[in-house]
Amino acid sequence: MSSKIRSVFPWLAVILRWAMGAVFIYMGFSKVLDPVGFLKLVREYNFVTNPILLNCIAATLPWFEVLCGLLLVIGVAVRGTALILVALLVPFTLLVLNRAMDIMNAQAIAFCAVKFDCGCGAGEVFICHKLLENSLLALGCAWLMTGIGWRLSLRHGVSPARETPSASRPS
Amino acid sequence: MVAAVGLVLAFVANQLSPRGLTLSRDYFRTGTHPVAKSVATVPGPNGATNAGSTNAASSPSPAASLHAKGLQTTDLATARGLFEDPRYRQSAFLFVDARNDKHYQDGHVPGAFQLDYYRPDSHLPLVIPLAQIAEKVIVYCNGGSCEDSELAALMLRDAGVPSEKLFIFVGGFSEWAGAGLPIESGLRDSGQTRTGGGKQ
Repeated sequence: MSSKIRSVFPWLAVILRWAMGAVFIYMGFSKVLDPVGFLKLVREYNFVTNPILLNCIAATLPWFEVLCGLLLVIGVAVRGTALILVALLVPFTLLVLNRAMDIMNAQAIAFCAVKFDCGCGAGEVFICHKLLENSLLALGCAWLMTGIGWRLSLRHGVSPARETPSASRPS
Repeated sequence: MVAAVGLVLAFVANQLSPRGLTLSRDYFRTGTHPVAKSVATVPGPNGATNAGSTNAASSPSPAASLHAKGLQTTDLATARGLFEDPRYRQSAFLFVDARNDKHYQDGHVPGAFQLDYYRPDSHLPLVIPLAQIAEKVIVYCNGGSCEDSELAALMLRDAGVPSEKLFIFVGGFSEWAGAGLPIESGLRDSGQTRTGGGKQ
C-alpha cells in the first residue's frame, strides 16, 4: 500500500506542477492585459517611491510570472523556477499582509473581513483566502523544489549535469 | 539563470507589448507641480458659484486634497448645469473623460472627449486645442479615490491650458450615472445614449 502511495506521489506532483503553472500564467496574463491597473495597485503598497523602479516592477513582474508558469507547465528548470516563485511569494505575501493590517486598522473591521485588490491578478479578494492561497502556492513550490515533479518534463534541470538522472526517461 | 533570463524576457515583452509601460515616465508626478495662485470652485453657467463645491474645506476629502494642489473642483449640480447649457453644444464647455478605453466606451458623459492620462498620445492633439478655446474644462474619472482626473488635469495644465479653466468633477462618472443623467456608450457622438441609474 505504501509503495502504491509512493508511486502515485510523482504523478500528483506533475498535476500540481501543471495546476500551479496554469495559476501563474492566468495571474500573470490578467496583469499583462492591464499594466496600468497593476502599476496603480503596486503603487498603493508604498514600498517603492522611485518612479522608474515602480515602472520596472509593474512592467516586468507580470511577464515574469507568465514565464515561470510556462516553465512549470512544460517542465523546464522546474526546481529553479519553484525556488524563484517561493522567493517571490514570501515577501509579496508579507506585503499583502501588511496592507491588510493597515486596512483593518483604518476601517476597524475583523481581519478576515478585509477585502481588497492586492494586485495578485484575481481582483478583490478576502485577505484570509489570499493568505491561504499564497501559503498553498509556496508549499507547492517548496515541494516541487525537492525534484519530485520531473515526470513529463522537457528538461527538469537547467544544466545537463544537474538534470535529474531520470528526467528524460520516457514516462 | 532562470531569474536573469526571465527578467530580460520580461523587459523585452514589455517593450514589444502595445500595452507596455514606458519605463522612464513618472506616471504619478502630482507632487512636483507648482500650486496655483488661486483656488476656486467652478461658477455655474449663469455665473453663480455653487456653494456645495466648497464643502471640502472642512474635511480632508478628495476635493480638499485637490485644492491643496492648486486644482479647482466642481460638483454634480454644476456639472449638470454646464451639460444642459445650450453653449455646451457650441463647445463653450468641454467635458474630458480621463478613464481608459473600456470605461469610456462602456459609458461617458455625452459629448465628452477621452483623455486617458496613461495613454494620451492619440487624445492630446484633439483635446488641447478644444480645451484652449473652451471657457471651462470639466475633467472627470470614476470618482471616489480615482486620481486619473487630477493627473489628466495636470497634464492639460502642463500643455498650456490655463488652470483657471480647469475643473475636476470630484464625484466623477459614478455620481453622474448614479444620478440618472444621460450616458453615451461607444465612441463620442455615437448616438447610443441611455439614462444612468443606480451606482456604477
